[in-house]
Formats: sequence, C-alpha cells, structure tokens
Amino acid sequence: MSLIKEKIFRKGGRNLAKYNEFLYDEIGNSYERKNQYLKEVAILESKIEDASGSEKSTLKEELKSLKANKKQHKYMVALEAFFDKEKAFKTDLRNKVKSFRNSQKGKYSNKVLKLKIDLLKSQEELSFYKKYTDLSYEATLTYEESLIKCEQLAEIIEFVLKNEKALSDAKAEEKTIQDSDEKRIQASYDAFKLEQKEKFKLDYIALKQKKKDGLISDKALKNGRVELKKKMQEALSVKSFESKKKSNKEMIRSLKYQLNKGTKREITVMNSNISDLRRKTPVESKKKQAIIAYLTFLIPGLGQVLNGQARKSVLFFMLSIFVYFAAIPYALGFGNYQGTGISGLLSLAEGGKKIDRSLIFMIEGIVAVYLVLFVVAILFISFRDVKNVEQSKIKGIREKNWFETWSNVTEEGFPYMVSLPALVAIVFIVLVPITTAILLSFTNMDPSHQNKFMWIGIDNYKMIALGEGVAGGPFWKILGWTVMWTAFATTAAIAVGFILALLTNNERVKGKVFFRSVYILPWAVPAFITIMFFSIMFSPKGALTEILNNIIQTDSLIVVKNDPFWSRLTLIGLQAWLGSAYVFLLSTGVLQGIPADLYEAAQIDGATAWQKLKRITLPIVLFQTAPLLIGQYTFNFNNFSIIYLFNGGGPFNPTKYGNLAGSTDLLISYIYKLTTENDYQAIGAAITIVISMGLMLFAFIGFKNSKAFKEEKL
Amino acid sequence: MKLFKKKNDLYLSDKQPLTLMGKIGLLVTYAILISWSIIILWPLYQMVLSAFNGDQGQYLMLNSTFTFSYDHFKYLFEETLYLTWVKNTIFIAVSTSLLTLLFVSFTGFAYSRYRFKGRKASLMAIMLIQTIPTFAGITAYFTMHSIIASISPAFTRQMMLILIYSAGGIAGNTFILKGYLDSISTELDDAARIDGCSSMKVYRLIIMPIAKPMLAIIALWSFIGPFMDYLLPRVLLTSPESYTLAAGLFTLINDFRTLNQPAFAAGGLLTAVPIVILFIALQKQLVSGLSKGSVKG
Repeated sequence: MSLIKEKIFRKGGRNLAKYNEFLYDEIGNSYERKNQYLKEVAILESKIEDASGSEKSTLKEELKSLKANKKQHKYMVALEAFFDKEKAFKTDLRNKVKSFRNSQKGKYSNKVLKLKIDLLKSQEELSFYKKYTDLSYEATLTYEESLIKCEQLAEIIEFVLKNEKALSDAKAEEKTIQDSDEKRIQASYDAFKLEQKEKFKLDYIALKQKKKDGLISDKALKNGRVELKKKMQEALSVKSFESKKKSNKEMIRSLKYQLNKGTKREITVMNSNISDLRRKTPVESKKKQAIIAYLTFLIPGLGQVLNGQARKSVLFFMLSIFVYFAAIPYALGFGNYQGTGISGLLSLAEGGKKIDRSLIFMIEGIVAVYLVLFVVAILFISFRDVKNVEQSKIKGIREKNWFETWSNVTEEGFPYMVSLPALVAIVFIVLVPITTAILLSFTNMDPSHQNKFMWIGIDNYKMIALGEGVAGGPFWKILGWTVMWTAFATTAAIAVGFILALLTNNERVKGKVFFRSVYILPWAVPAFITIMFFSIMFSPKGALTEILNNIIQTDSLIVVKNDPFWSRLTLIGLQAWLGSAYVFLLSTGVLQGIPADLYEAAQIDGATAWQKLKRITLPIVLFQTAPLLIGQYTFNFNNFSIIYLFNGGGPFNPTKYGNLAGSTDLLISYIYKLTTENDYQAIGAAITIVISMGLMLFAFIGFKNSKAFKEEKL
Repeated sequence: MKLFKKKNDLYLSDKQPLTLMGKIGLLVTYAILISWSIIILWPLYQMVLSAFNGDQGQYLMLNSTFTFSYDHFKYLFEETLYLTWVKNTIFIAVSTSLLTLLFVSFTGFAYSRYRFKGRKASLMAIMLIQTIPTFAGITAYFTMHSIIASISPAFTRQMMLILIYSAGGIAGNTFILKGYLDSISTELDDAARIDGCSSMKVYRLIIMPIAKPMLAIIALWSFIGPFMDYLLPRVLLTSPESYTLAAGLFTLINDFRTLNQPAFAAGGLLTAVPIVILFIALQKQLVSGLSKGSVKG
C-alpha cells in the first residue's frame, strides 16, 4: 500500500500534466481533495489512463463535458458564493478594526493595541470560517489558525498587560521613594556591613584556631575562608535590596526584559504552532504546471509575490535591484572607471584614448564577468525557489510563510549566509587577479606594449616551450635548477631535521630542553632576517667567505656570490639550516607520541635498533607528517625570499641566462623579475600559469588520495 | 649495613647497560647534536655581536675588534623610520588577524557542522586555488588598487595588503579550523539546539568558546605573517613611510643611500627577539595547529 502511495507521490512530483486525486504534504501523507470539481476531474483522468479502447473515448467525452460545465458544477457554485461572502466579510472586518482602533486608542500601549486588533480579527475569522471548513482547505486553515490565535493571543495580551501594570506600578513607586528613608536604610546597611565584617573576622579566627590545633588542613582553611567571604557577600547583597531605590531599579529592569523578550518568545511559540498547522493543511491549486517560474525568472521577487510570499519577495527584489541597477549596467560599461564592461575584454582599449590602459579594461571586464556570474546565480536561485514553491503547491504542500522562511534562511541557509562574505572576498581578491593572470598570458604585454596590448593567442606559451625570445629563453634552464633546488634543499632539510629529532629523542641524551630550544631557533627568527644576515656574511669580505677560504685552500679566492656552483650549494645548505627546524619540531612531536610498548614488544622479539627504526619509527613519522612534508616541497618550489634576498638570483651569466635571470633564479623569482622589474608581464603570467597548473596537479593527486578527503561525506 | 652497601653496586636502571658500541654511539650522538647547535648559534651570535659592536661603520666587520655600544640602535631609531615600520607592521598584522578571524570562524563552523550542497566541490576548489602562488595576482593587484583608490582615496595600499593577506588566508585557515572542530563531538551543539538555540547562538555560545585555542593559533599565524613576508610589501608599498619591517629593513642593506649593515643587525635583533620568545613559548600549540589542519584535511 505504502509503495503505491509512494508511486503516486512521485508521479505527482514529476508528471504534472494532470491532476492528482489526492493532495500530499512534505512527508507524503495524503489528503482528500475538498475541491469536488477538481477531484472529479482527477478521478476521470486517472480512469482514462487505465482504460482502453472505446471505454477511453466515452470517458474522454465525459471529462470534456465536465470541464465545459465547470461553472455550473455544484461545488464551484458553492465556492463562488463563499468567495463573495468572504469579500464582504473582509470589508466588514476592516471597518470593524478601524472603529475598534479608534475606540480603544489611548487606552492601551501600542503593543497591546496591536495584539488586541489581531485578537479581534481572529475572533471574527473564527466565527466566519467555521461554516466553510468543509468547503476548502484555505477556510480550514484560516479557521484553525484563528483558533490557535484566539487562545494564545489572549494569553499573550494578559501576560503583557500584567507586566505593563507591574512596570507602571514600579515606576510610580519610584517616585514615592523618599531620600530620608534611603538615608536611614543606607545607615542601617553600613551598620550591618560592619557587623558582618566583624563576624567574618571572628569566624576566621576560629577557623585558624582549628588549623592550629591540627583539626583541619591548609587547604580546608583556604576553602573555609572563601566560603565565609561568599556568605558575607551574599548576606550583604540580600541586605542591600532593603533599599527601595535599588530593589525598585532591579524590578524595573527585570520587568522590561520580560516585556521585551518574554513577549517575543510567546509570539514565537504561537508562530511555530501556526507553522505546524500549515505543514499539516494542504493547499489546492488549480494549476497543473509551474508557469510563474518561467514567466518571471527575469525579475527575482515577482514570482515570490505571485506565490503569495510577500515578505520573502522583498529580499529577492533587493537582489533584483543589484542585478538591474549595479551588475548589468556595470557589465555593459556604465559606471566603469575607465573600461567598457565585458566588451572591454575583447577590445582591450584598442583605438581608445591615450590614457586608456588595456590592463584596466581587462580587469574591469573580468570584474564584470564575475558580476554577471553572480547575476546568473541570483536568477537561477530565484527561479528555482519560485518553481519549487509552485510545484509543491500543485502537489499540495503549502508555501512557507515569513516566519517559516526566515527560520529556514537562518538554519538551512546558515552556511551559505555566513560564507558569503568570505566568498565575495575570495572572488575579488583571489579569483579576479588569477583570472587576470590567465588572460594576460594570452596577450603581448611587454616593455614596448605597456599601456596598450592585444590578444596574441598562445604565442607566449610557444615561446616558453621552445625557449625562444628574451624572456622565454632561459625558461628550461631555470626550470631545471628549480626542480633540482626543490629536491635537494627540501630533502636536505627533512633529513637533517629528522635525524636531529631522532637523536634528541634518544632517552639517554641529557639536556633535551636546551637542544630543542636551540634547534627551533632558525624557524623562530624571521627568515628574511637570517637570510639577509647570511647574505652579508657571504659577501666578498664577509666572515663566512673568509672561513670557507681557510678551509678549502685553492689557488684563487672563492667568492660564493660570484660563483654559480658555490652559490647554489650555499643556498641549499642555507635552506637546510632554515627548514630543518620546522621538520625537527614536527617529527619531535610525532616521536614523542609513539607509544613505548611498541618498542618494548620489538625488543622482546629481538629487534635491533636499526630494525626498530625502519619498521616502527620511520613509517609512523612519515605517515603522520607526509602532507606537511609534501607542503615543504611546494613551499621550496616557490621559495622566493631566500633566492631574492640572498643574492638577487645572481651571479649573472648573460651568455647562459640572458639579461633577465641569474644562475640561482627560481621560476618564482624569475617571474618576479619579469613582471615587476622588467615589464614582461605577459610572459611572466604565462610562466605563472604553467607552474600553477603543475602545482595544482601535484596538490590534487595528494589531496584526492588523502584519507581525510575520502572519508568526507557529501 | 651490608644490604645498603650492596645497593651501590647494583645497576639501578630499567635501561640496559651500555655496551662499548653503545657508548661510542652516544658519544657520536652528542658530537652531532653539539656541532649542529654551534652551526645554529654561531650566526645568531654574530648577529647579536654586530648589533652591539661600536667598531663598525656602514659595513659589518665580523672579525674585528669589539666595543660595546648602543650606537646602531640609536641610529636605527633616530636616522631611519624603524618605529614607523614597526607601527605599520603591527597595524597590518592586527587588522589581518582580526579580519581573518571574522571570515574563518564562520566558514570553519559552516564547513565542519553543516552538510550543504557544493560543500565538497568548494572544498576541493579552495584547496586547489590555494596552491597558486600569490604572485599570480601581482600585476592585477597594482591596477586594482589604483582603480579602487581613484574611487575612494581613503583606500591605501596598506589596506590592499591587509585584504590580500586575509582573503588569501581564508582557504588554509578554514581547513585548519574545520579539522579542529571535526575532532570535537557535536554533542554540545546538539544539546544547545535541542534547548532551542539558533545557529547563530550555537556559533556564539558553543562554537566560539570551544574553538578558542585554535582561533588563537590562527590569529597568531596571521599576525606573524606580515612580519615575515617580504614580497608583497615590497611590490605594493611604494613609499618608505608605508613600509613594513621586512621591506624597511631591506633598504638598510640593499640601497646605497641608506646602507647601514650594523643597523640592520640591530633592527633584525629587535624584531626577532619578541617573535622568538613567542614561538618558543607557544611552539606546541603552533605546531599542533599546523598538523591538525593538514592531517585532518
């Protein structure tokens, strides 16, 4: 049975071309239709589907006549009559409310008046709709809603009135408080305070005596003192409320809080009751298909109005304003700083004024594209919202009222709402620049095309791949050194750090704290400071140059910064010096966490120290720090500061590396030189894109395989 | 009496007695540990020494005579903009960490506690975008700043820097906070929800206090970032008055007009000391923050 129900339910959801015999709510409960005409139509339609041959045609005839005589249908007549009466009732009600408002004005506060009017309305509705509950679900809903309201509004009004009365009493009392009384109470309070203090002293002395006699411990004495003090403070604070001024003030505060928050809470309870009711009362729609969604998708907000969600539509109308008064005009070129919206992306200021800069045109174009993406997202969200509500309504699920919508937005929509600022920040600060770099790599922005440049396709990539041109020439050589650098420098740092951690972790080694504190110093001292300082020490007359030459006696003086081989070696050593501290810290943490019984078990089984290292220590440390170690490789691949601050990428060797790069330049520092020092932005961007793709692939593989990501449920 | 005497000869340790090889090994271990300590300490010692050595002019003289003096510090404070740089760096660092916290505390909460559409895809996307070096944006940052600045002149280059730092940190820090919150069971927030707390209240009353340790670490990392970074200030900031410490101190060793290497050593020392103290005091927390974020993913 439930399976069949399910089937019908599904059908109702998808195949909307015909009416369903039953109405369904969100959890699939079915309800009888109250609209007899539609019910008959639905029954006939389903009969037609099941029937065959001649029977089908007679049934079709029947349906046709039923539809033709819709106006004469008994139910429809009754419904029309109800509508007429309802109209009259509504105007009547409006007048009643108006006169009630006038008659009661001034008697109550605004809050109460509003509640009273609501109560009056629901009382009237209660008696009017009672007669029509069988006729339509709308009437049923209004009836039951007003039933809840009558009951709870009365309570709320009583609650508010009571509190208001108490508040005004308290306020009146405030005026009667006399200063002389206050003074007297203050005096008695002071006396009481002295008395309490005296008592505290005596008690404390007694406690001390007990301690002296050895009856209680030090701790008990301390606790006892705290306890006594608390007691005294409590007594004092109770006494202080004898002051009318103070108690009155406190009273007023609490009453105001009650009035404000308490009323709000009561109303929330009422609203949730109503929303429960709405979920249980289906809606009957004459529509078979969602049309509004398709007709109004261009104007977010309109569809919501037509769906009967007025306050929700205000939100969407605000989005509409953003779409039609900010995003789209900007994309068309209005309100731009210099560019022409999206079209600027194509033209890149070609043939524009002298001060027009292609780059500005490009960036504004990209911003416009992202704004358009936002617009598409907004339109889609609004369209889907309208469509969902419409389809649910056809199925029988009532649309959400503002109370429900709002709680939906703040609960289910919460992750979206709170991530929105971060999203906007990422789009404009991270994505726009990256997109700019991607597009820039397809242009010819170089020293001779700074203000105006144009699209040149993949020429830049070709130049890099073939190693041609001023800027692209040294690419492969630099890439080779970069890879070499990454491999050697990182591995050296990891090896040094790990070995040190292992040695320090030896239980027989004393002075662990000293060694550990020293070994993390390279990590703690800001790297730029140490790098710059080493750079000074390796200068031709620097201390380390001298020491190096004393150790290695050769015919000619070795000047590290002028010799490519020594420069590279020194850099790798320096990175080992800097990076080992971090690895040391990480592996120490892991080593300390390895349970000792693993080693004991190995010991009992007769494992040697080497076996223990190979089978226990290494796997555990590597497994736990692998992602961070991989991170070290990518970090060194892009380690700009060590290269640039040590020797600016030098020594330079124009015959091998051209005029732009030095022999220790990594790709990243080469890009830096290209873009900021030599104005080869396009080639620089192309190289950036190439290495970013490589790194992304690297990260993607690592990330995809990580256990954490696989375990993520969607 | 005899019993006590015998005890002295007993081998009282739960470790095995060392063999000769073991003793040699231990000796080698000590030799390695001590020599690496010297390798680390010697350059740092030289830096301290040269910061206080009055017998130097513009250049560092490491092996020359030593006279104790505060001259270089004096030079640093009186002749350079050191204090301005400190002020700039602290301003940028504080704003960055506050802004980062604001962004990340929400996103971390959302990614840890909610299963919403597009969650996995966006996680993957941020992860990948993160690998693109900040460098990629340099050309654009420059122009973007001039566009915004021409519209609202109050938007300084430092603010641009703050925005870049904090927006760039959203991805990684969200991961770290998410990892941390994932490791805490949801019982507390479930209980709060049953008692009628809205999401915002759960965030404010439950998640914020729980996440405090990790938020402190994130704030600390984003605070230290601007102290360490050299590249972006160098590119974005154009006047010495707006430099951060890294960019400012570099002018003392690479610009012939302002060259003064001992003053650089002094400035470096002053900058390094508080950070070193911070790092050594908080090393455990800082590292746990790092590894939590990455292992948990």
